[in-house]
Amino acid sequence: MDMPTRTRRKLPRLLRYTSAVIGLVLVTVYLLVALFATVLAPYSPTEQHAPDRLQEPNAKYLLGTDEFGRDILSRLMHGATNSLRIALLAVTLATLAGTTIGMLSGYAGGVVDNAMMRVMDLFFAFPAILLALSIVAALGPGSNNTILAIAIVYTPIFARVARGPVLATKEMEFVSAARCVGASHARILARHILPNIVAPIIVQISLALSWAMLTEAALSFLGLGTQPPQPSWGSMLSESRKMMEIAPWMAISPGMAIMLGVLGFNLLGDGLRDALDPRLKN
Amino acid sequence: MPTAICNPLFEMQRFIVQRLLALVPTLFGISIVVFLVMRLIPGDTISAMIGTQYQLTEAQAAALRAYFGLDKSLPEQYIIWLTNALQGNLGYSVRSGQPVLGEILKRFPLTLELALGAVVIGLLIGLPIGILSAVKRDSFIDLFGRFFSLIGLALPNFWLGTLIILALSLYFGILPTSGNYVEFTQNPILNLQQIFFPALTLGFAFSASVMRATRSSLLEELFQDYARTARGKGLREQTVITVHCLKNALIPVITLVGVEMGYLLGGAIVVEEVYALPGVGRLLLNGISQRDYAVVQGAVVFIAFNFVLINLLTDLAYAFVNPRIRYE
Amino acid sequence: MKPSIILIALLVVAVALLIACATPTPATVVQTKVVEQTKVVEKVVEATKVVEKVVTATPPPTAAPKTGGVLIAARAADAKGLDPHKQTAFSSFRVLELIYDTLVTLDKDMKVVPHLAESWKWSEDGKTLTMNLRKNVKFHDGTPMTSEDVKFSFERILDEKTGAAARANYTSITKIDTPDPYTVVFTLNAPNGALPAAMTSLNAAILSKKAVTGGQDPAKTTNGTGAFKLASWEPDKILKLEANKEYWMPGLPRLAGIEFRTIPDEASILAGLRAKTIDWALINDPRVGIRAGAGGSTLTVMRAPALAYHVLQLNASRPMFKDLKVRQAIACAIDRQEVLDVASLGEGEVTPPATPPFYRAKLDDLFCYKKDVDKAKKLLADAGNPTVKFKIMAAVDEPPTAVAEAQNIQAQLKKIGIETEIETYELGVYVKKWLDADFDAVVALNGGNPDPDIMFFRYWHSTGNLNKVANYSSPEIDKLLEQGRTTADPAKRKAIYDEIQKKLTEAVPWVWLYVGFEYRVMQPYVKGFVPLANGANTYLRETWLDK
Repeated sequence: MDMPTRTRRKLPRLLRYTSAVIGLVLVTVYLLVALFATVLAPYSPTEQHAPDRLQEPNAKYLLGTDEFGRDILSRLMHGATNSLRIALLAVTLATLAGTTIGMLSGYAGGVVDNAMMRVMDLFFAFPAILLALSIVAALGPGSNNTILAIAIVYTPIFARVARGPVLATKEMEFVSAARCVGASHARILARHILPNIVAPIIVQISLALSWAMLTEAALSFLGLGTQPPQPSWGSMLSESRKMMEIAPWMAISPGMAIMLGVLGFNLLGDGLRDALDPRLKN
Repeated sequence: MPTAICNPLFEMQRFIVQRLLALVPTLFGISIVVFLVMRLIPGDTISAMIGTQYQLTEAQAAALRAYFGLDKSLPEQYIIWLTNALQGNLGYSVRSGQPVLGEILKRFPLTLELALGAVVIGLLIGLPIGILSAVKRDSFIDLFGRFFSLIGLALPNFWLGTLIILALSLYFGILPTSGNYVEFTQNPILNLQQIFFPALTLGFAFSASVMRATRSSLLEELFQDYARTARGKGLREQTVITVHCLKNALIPVITLVGVEMGYLLGGAIVVEEVYALPGVGRLLLNGISQRDYAVVQGAVVFIAFNFVLINLLTDLAYAFVNPRIRYE
Repeated sequence: MKPSIILIALLVVAVALLIACATPTPATVVQTKVVEQTKVVEKVVEATKVVEKVVTATPPPTAAPKTGGVLIAARAADAKGLDPHKQTAFSSFRVLELIYDTLVTLDKDMKVVPHLAESWKWSEDGKTLTMNLRKNVKFHDGTPMTSEDVKFSFERILDEKTGAAARANYTSITKIDTPDPYTVVFTLNAPNGALPAAMTSLNAAILSKKAVTGGQDPAKTTNGTGAFKLASWEPDKILKLEANKEYWMPGLPRLAGIEFRTIPDEASILAGLRAKTIDWALINDPRVGIRAGAGGSTLTVMRAPALAYHVLQLNASRPMFKDLKVRQAIACAIDRQEVLDVASLGEGEVTPPATPPFYRAKLDDLFCYKKDVDKAKKLLADAGNPTVKFKIMAAVDEPPTAVAEAQNIQAQLKKIGIETEIETYELGVYVKKWLDADFDAVVALNGGNPDPDIMFFRYWHSTGNLNKVANYSSPEIDKLLEQGRTTADPAKRKAIYDEIQKKLTEAVPWVWLYVGFEYRVMQPYVKGFVPLANGANTYLRETWLDK
């Protein structure tokens, strides 16, 4: 029997399913909030209630108000829409582009691999700030260009992450065996190589989602990212930094939201990976 | 394509030489891209200098453009830069009037130290937790480990940095640098004290990704055939883990280290701002803001150079850890 | 001593203590405006629930000033260059004004007073300005300063090849003569009463003719007559000044040196002040400044209204702003105090177009300085109820409150049906667009000046070099500006500039908002510092450390 099964404590596989379920619940809640924010939010996210500025969480404003008198809860909900949209789109683009490049490059090897990786190096070595700044300076501010900027910055990372396992896997006997039998490259890639890079890619995706949200916050230092007064968790967090001594509740809500969001996606990601991996089925 | 192995030492040397040669077109390519990108962004050195409170006459603007060499055509400007760069002259900073190469080299040790510190702290925290988490899967330890990693992922480093500084100054009455950063060569103890908290701030998030990657890939390895075989042969679980599985499990971690070092060597701009550390990140950001073309050009090429070296080291590390990976 | 006397004395002391320690309950909103320089003011801001003590000048020193010691100073922005004729950034000024001197300078009441020039007089027709120079002034390299250096400096500024930023302020000078080593005669092409005020600017610093013509580049090497010399500069880190032992002001400077540290995050600067690792700091962001005096802090907080003003600039050449009534409607719809309260937490004063206190027109005399939504709606109706939509441009961090101002203005304008979109830009891009007048509207922080001619001429006169950014002029305002420039009598000038302000606020090319506070925060042992309204820290010459 497998050693790890014997050393499991009193929390059996039930916990594994529980955590995946928690992840699923969290993600579903977020998706629902993101999709139906306009209906669920008690106030408009941009309406300023001037006399109610900088209120701590109370009965009227469940999470308090910011320096403009805007309801933080409503901003959080609409921010979910924004942040998730930016993070999901950017990471999807980066995953598709990066994984494809990395996989093909690692598999092809030789000159092709060399050339591709040098081009990826070019993007990698290019400081992300400058890259993002130039994209936005050339194309203008706004969240669509932010998505593009984040996607471009993360593509090389996915390429690198995908390439590593490919290099290892393609040396394995079963791949040579498949070649001998006459399997096409496409088939080998799809059936043998791909499953082996799924796990690190999923881990990377969950990392990238949270990074994307935080990068969006960092980009707002440069005038990029979501344009005010539209809320996004990242920009709410970066705005709250200046107000940390005056209004600490402004930082807690977006921080918690990001954390729970990251938690949800990661738990779900782990659950998916466990479910997909045939060797982990008992 | 899978090939047969020859003499490993020869392979490695050939590999290194190949990659070092590839450095040239990469740097060349980057320098051109940076050059064009900086000229594409609206606003130039002159407008940045003048700001919004003054206006220059045509003659004045023309004189300044000539002074900065901006009146020549773009290809000409680039060739001048390239010729000088190949002789080791990266131009002069608009801000300080000092040579760019000197400015970069003065700040690089700090950035390098910060990057190394962050990586080391990240590994020191992330690896043990990741290994424990994988070995004691689904136990409380695992739960704690995963929770910890999620906090590390979700907490933005600028936020963490601000919190740390606030806590240190309010409750302990100390402040890491107070804008008076001392170099390692001047005062090693003080320097390490100053670097500790910034490195911790950066390393915290890194430790989270190390933890997750370690856990994930170690779990993979623990179920591989060779691991079962080793157990079947009667080896103790500990030996199985450390000698056999860990080496393979570390491959994705190596990738992460390479990525993180590469990223951090470009300057951890936000942490540098919050802790007032004069690193490469701030040099770059200020250079961009002032459209100090020579500084940006020089800094980016320098960063790229280091980055490619890191990549080379990462790939060499891959091959060391898994001899089945060929030097491609 | 009789026990009853002791009892009475104790009672008096107790009552005094009670009065001193009593604070108004936070529920009340008490705003005490600072009037005198030496008053201690308590301000309760309801929104932030902070009680702070604010002192606007250090209390008179209890001991004689000591000399020596190095002041550890911090600010967020480092100098951007060293050539005083070419620099425009405030952060550069703050350093260079200690290294270089000008012919005249501003005292703490913003009056022009002698500095390198001991005295000056105007000719009858106002076209000749004769200045008599001080005699015992030396440059940092030891050479004495003479009229030749003054002539050289101004010629350098006027030479277009130099690219001197403020050249336009001195173009009335047609000839400079030096009849003897300590007399300079400026000949002007037209009377210009504002010239001495313009000469107080760092951009008119006196350089050494011998050194610069001998090959010294002011952008790389400093050589001034000022109280401090540049000892070393590590950009983004530390800029060290050391005292000029042969400074011409007797007994000054008192400090042996100043270490300017660059700490980009103002919250970190505050942390350093609290940890007592920093002696003196300049804080720009009101959200940080407001915390400096909070909660039992022993720090001295000096808050001075700046001359720089926050303004919503409208581009009158854009189609949606062509109709005067639309612009006026915008002015009437905006409650400037609200913008101030929201964006700067109330740390500032609503301002008319002229910001120096003497020249400020009365707000009640100006068009729509009190919010009047009904009037705004009526104006729009009179204009035919057009759909007004425009973009507000803002720089990301310059000033730190720009984006907040834009958001509040956006919300206020929405109430009269005007839709706006906010676009934030990186600083360099913003500057380019601003200079090209490539915007509908922009939330800006523009520099002020003790002399309203310098503030207004460049924007509002049809020949002003920034008029194409301001995009508005009228023959009446042109005439008034010319009059203001050539009038000497302060009372008459004030009347002229009051009239100009009335006309400007009626024409609404811009909506003037407020002036903010600049904070100088220091440890209690830092004495002798007085903040100037134009932001200058020249009183660092007289500062000393009481420890």
